[in-house]
Amino acid sequence: MKVTFACALLLMCGCVWAQEEFGPKGPVVKIIGAPVVTVVQGKPATVPLSFAVSSGFHINSNHPKSEFLIPTVLKVEATTDIIIGKTTYPEGQDMSFAFAPDEKLNVYTGDFEIDVLVRPLHSVQPGKYVIRGTLRYQACDNTACYPPKNLPVSFDVKIQKARSAPAANPAQSPHAHN
Amino acid sequence: MKKDPIILFFVGALVAVMLFAGIRAARNSRAIMPAHGLMGAEAPDFELKTVDGADLRLSSLRGKAVLLNFWATYCGPCKVEMPWFVELQKEYGPQGFQIIGVAMDDATTEEIAKFAKDLGVNYPILLGKEAVGLSYGGVSVLPTTFFLDRNGKVIAREFGLQSRSVFVDHIKQALGQGGSVQAQK
Repeated sequence: MKVTFACALLLMCGCVWAQEEFGPKGPVVKIIGAPVVTVVQGKPATVPLSFAVSSGFHINSNHPKSEFLIPTVLKVEATTDIIIGKTTYPEGQDMSFAFAPDEKLNVYTGDFEIDVLVRPLHSVQPGKYVIRGTLRYQACDNTACYPPKNLPVSFDVKIQKARSAPAANPAQSPHAHN
Repeated sequence: MKKDPIILFFVGALVAVMLFAGIRAARNSRAIMPAHGLMGAEAPDFELKTVDGADLRLSSLRGKAVLLNFWATYCGPCKVEMPWFVELQKEYGPQGFQIIGVAMDDATTEEIAKFAKDLGVNYPILLGKEAVGLSYGGVSVLPTTFFLDRNGKVIAREFGLQSRSVFVDHIKQALGQGGSVQAQK
């Protein structure tokens, strides 16, 4: 027991040391929610992806108010069996910062959600599929900015078989009365 | 199966050592010179193109005090400093002071040039390269500004937006006129 504890302590020391070596030097955007969405063959569904921007930082929204600002963009890799539809971004917040008090920037802070529309083809085999993408963002705080980063994103889509329509019974005639 | 505590301890220690070594190796393989390692050392030399297409080598400025400012068009705080730099270039330029802007940007040369022109920039703007950024500690924060004395040695550096007076102090120090701010970090 004591030895296990000592091993865990050693590993924790390693992790702390790693943190000291590399940062925390900059902002972190994390994916905090990507629920498995169940979709019926041939039908569209929305996948809500939740992200969190670390406290004290902001990232540009999808529609920043200057041509020089880098928008937040989610790029989803195309798949052969699932059509990736529209990506819906939230409205950003208009905020002023100490470095430009007279200017309003449109940004995301805290948690925000991006919705991705998916539609599996009718021919897709039922089952779980992994869809991958990248969130590109560029963050700043009150006194500095950080180079653009790419956050790998992945989410699962569970595809169910479409119910077949009830077939008409040609053998039975509604007028067959004796 | 009974676990041998000695083996467990050695496995744990081995994993921890591998973690140390792996991270150290990863760091070294990226050839990043830590920014704090540059203090008092000769500034890494480089040659980059200006937005006008000319070549500029840092060491060609030896004999002058240099403010080396890494910035980007997407960086709001950088935009605040640049008009100060325009004034400081005018004020201290005649004493042997030169500001160099290095754009660490994905924007096109034309966009960078337009951005600088709109702010009235009166000092060379260079098109940055990742390798140059790495030689200055990775430049993971913008703006990052280094101050070099007349011998090309790094005497101070600042991360993020600073007050104008901090820049003035470092410039005076770089020119050999003193300055109240100590070399940073």
